[in-house]
Amino acid sequence: MQRIRFIDRMAQGRMSRREMLASAGAFGVGAILVPVRARASGPLVCLEWAGYDVADYIPAFVEKHGRTPDFAVFGGEEEALAKVRAGFAADVMHPCNYSVSRFVSAGLAREIDTARLSHWPDIFPALKTAEGVLTDGRVVMAPADWGNSSIAYRPDLVDPAFAADPTWGIFFDDAYRGRVSMLDNELLIQIGAMVGGMSYDEAYALSGAALEQAARTWGRKGVEISRFLWTDASEVQQAMASGEIVAAYAWNDLVKNLQAEGIPVAYAVPREGLFTWFCGLTLLNSGRADEALAYDFIDAWLSPETGKLLIEGSGYGHANMKSFEIADPDAVAAMGLRDPVAVMESAILFRTPPDAVQNEHNRVWSDVKALR
Amino acid sequence: MRRTAGPALLAPAFLVMAAALAAPLGALVLLSFWTQTGFEIDRTFTLANYWRIVEPGPPTWWNGIPFPFAYPVPAILLVKSLAMSLTATAAVILVAWPMAYFLAFRVRRGKAAWIILLTVPFWTSYLLRVFSWKIVLGYNGAVNSGLIALGVIGEPLDFLLYNPVAVMITLTHSWIAFAVLPIYVSLEKIDRSLLEAAADLGDSRWARLRRITLPLSMPGTVAATLLVFIPTVGDYVTPTLVGGTQGTMIGSLVQQLFTRQDNAPMGAAVSIVMMLVIAALVLVFLRAIGWRRMRARAGA
Amino acid sequence: MSPRRDALTWYAVAFVAFLYGPVLLMPLFSFNDSNFATFPLAGFTTRHYAGMAANISMMEALRNSLTVALGVSAAATALALPAALALTRHRIPGRALVTGFMMLPLVVPSIVLGVALLVILIRILGVQLSLWTVAAGHLVVALPFSLAVLMSRLEGFDPSLEEASGDLGAGGFGTFRRVTLPLALPGVISSLLLAFIISFDEFVISFFLTGTRNTLPVFLFSQLRFPNRLPGTLALGSLILFGSALLVILTEVIRRRGLPADRAGGL
Repeated sequence: MQRIRFIDRMAQGRMSRREMLASAGAFGVGAILVPVRARASGPLVCLEWAGYDVADYIPAFVEKHGRTPDFAVFGGEEEALAKVRAGFAADVMHPCNYSVSRFVSAGLAREIDTARLSHWPDIFPALKTAEGVLTDGRVVMAPADWGNSSIAYRPDLVDPAFAADPTWGIFFDDAYRGRVSMLDNELLIQIGAMVGGMSYDEAYALSGAALEQAARTWGRKGVEISRFLWTDASEVQQAMASGEIVAAYAWNDLVKNLQAEGIPVAYAVPREGLFTWFCGLTLLNSGRADEALAYDFIDAWLSPETGKLLIEGSGYGHANMKSFEIADPDAVAAMGLRDPVAVMESAILFRTPPDAVQNEHNRVWSDVKALR
Repeated sequence: MRRTAGPALLAPAFLVMAAALAAPLGALVLLSFWTQTGFEIDRTFTLANYWRIVEPGPPTWWNGIPFPFAYPVPAILLVKSLAMSLTATAAVILVAWPMAYFLAFRVRRGKAAWIILLTVPFWTSYLLRVFSWKIVLGYNGAVNSGLIALGVIGEPLDFLLYNPVAVMITLTHSWIAFAVLPIYVSLEKIDRSLLEAAADLGDSRWARLRRITLPLSMPGTVAATLLVFIPTVGDYVTPTLVGGTQGTMIGSLVQQLFTRQDNAPMGAAVSIVMMLVIAALVLVFLRAIGWRRMRARAGA
Repeated sequence: MSPRRDALTWYAVAFVAFLYGPVLLMPLFSFNDSNFATFPLAGFTTRHYAGMAANISMMEALRNSLTVALGVSAAATALALPAALALTRHRIPGRALVTGFMMLPLVVPSIVLGVALLVILIRILGVQLSLWTVAAGHLVVALPFSLAVLMSRLEGFDPSLEEASGDLGAGGFGTFRRVTLPLALPGVISSLLLAFIISFDEFVISFFLTGTRNTLPVFLFSQLRFPNRLPGTLALGSLILFGSALLVILTEVIRRRGLPADRAGGL
């Protein structure tokens, strides 16, 4: 369309040479101009985690508009970030507390007017002001789902000593070579540094020579020990079900799913600490749909019904306090999470270092894997 | 024939390729001379990205081979990917050739059915096919549970999956149909009277194979070799899925540079170097086997 | 002469077994009453098929993929056939160079092609990503394959047939329709099939160029990450397999109708 309009104007001589050069030559011009002109037209486009791209999580939206938005799925935030930065026009994105700042500093996120969200008053107060939700006093992410990252293990297959005193050291232990699986993420280097005695606050912000050193010591070792570095949950879930691996980095849903299959599995509270995170919805300024649609979508995600589904189906927590009242009490109890404040105080909340450091971590992690 | 007919026939395909291939690649080359600084791209012309790939430095040892580069990752991954691809290509050709021969010389009826039979599995998703290999070689997979049921082993073998051999088997499986077709086409074109004449002159089956069939099948075999070799160098999906922690390839690096590492200019430079290396190897290969002569002979 | 049952025949059987063995595990596990694709089997169920049919987004992805693949297959063959004729039959200035250029996508890793296309489509032309952009990417990858297959076929037969047709007074198009096309037909069919398969299977480029409407591989990739739906995807994979098998048989039936009864041999 843009191109046809461009040619059209050129043909009618309504475009000066200067204008033409500017439009044709400058990268990104199209991406800046189009949203302004075309906003309030197209359908809602949501960048969503693979698996969350279904009507189940947004019943209110589907009921009101008779259809789901157009979903584009991603498997990791950096992938989604690259897609948006390359010019993909999406209205809403689903980042997490530690990754939303990447979108903000790339100039892609917009402030959310919380007055337009009917469920906002029911959100846990602590989440409303948490780092990531607020940036410079403005809400850039509406918190929705939250959960943990820890070690899921097979109590019947690990050394009882590990079960008695779980440690992230299992990912660097020769005794477990080829029998554990870590997530394919630079976090492995940071966890290694923590096993080596460093605090998370130091480890996540490692840079320069110290980061290279940690990568050589812990990164390489960890990559060697893991049977594979998992990128999709089905892989690690099946490997645990079969006993191929006895422990893995995992989110709550893996434990929930394996238990439902009747497989003995436990979720560790490692001595170095348990990680926690929360994710939410962010308005992107590349969007072309009516803003009201985007707000309806976010509001649908914040509904207690969505929370009930997350709690009962995946073992995740939800930002809406009412979710816990309407969810099956057994599911709430089994999840072991009730109050996000308590969880975040007792656990380590993921953080993201400044962009330059994060890019360095990305590069070092790539290099560590390449040298295997 | 009319002089203009040729260019006119060629034009549509050529223009499509110019628009959808040359222009994007031009943009890519341009990008490789720029640099990434944070979220911005610095558009000053520089060879910095290319220099970084070849910049000398203290040697990094990888599998007993020293790589004397300051940033050895692209070089190491390129060597690794080439080694994987060459081995897989050799395996594919060795497996596919006899099948193509069977198809061309033994199958009398229903050749089309055979060809379609060979292609049917390839109508299923590539990802699912790779995934089914995980089911076969997996810890609780077909091989392991079969061997356990037979009482051969007591515990599942865990060395079947997540290693270079698994990558090799999966790649072979993925590409053999592509390799069978061109070899079959060139075998099919062989003039049967040549073989009959040789038989009449007393050549044994092996002599005919060696002196007539094999040389005349070379155009198809070489085409098959290139069809498999070139794309597998850049393939990163298969090694990632079945190669375990050793599955990082040059394609993974390019993907990482364009996404996670957020350094598209460097990614562009790495991919251009990769393309040039592949092109150079292909040219050397074609020259070494005397491609021109071979084609001339096969066409005669 | 009846076909010999020798080592080579057994090899072909083994080859087909190797080709089909892993693939046939898909239907097996699609009927397995468990969310995990591991032995031993847990029991028979058809629930995964019911679940799959109810999966609207999966069906939509399938439809998208079929549409794109059919379009790409037709377009690639339609573009490649005249080009192959030009390159094998006509005098083209810089023929080797042109051929080299047309074959370039074979040396360009698909990921590079995907990203390069993304940059030019979005940042320069301001086109929104859609199935059209995916199809454009697929066309670039499929065209050289079509061209290679067709050129290989056209190089294989005697140009004197065409010359004879010309001498007998047939025009350029008449010669094409009566002589060239029938001779090239096996190549055209391979080209259609190959381009279809390439497009239907393509993941990396689709991954970068897909808008909000997924093709099947992109969809499956996302589903493999979500374990509870894995058997649903295996059910779909099985159906694709059976669908294509049906297509094979149909093709064979149509082919046999055109043959004399005594030549309608076994499959």
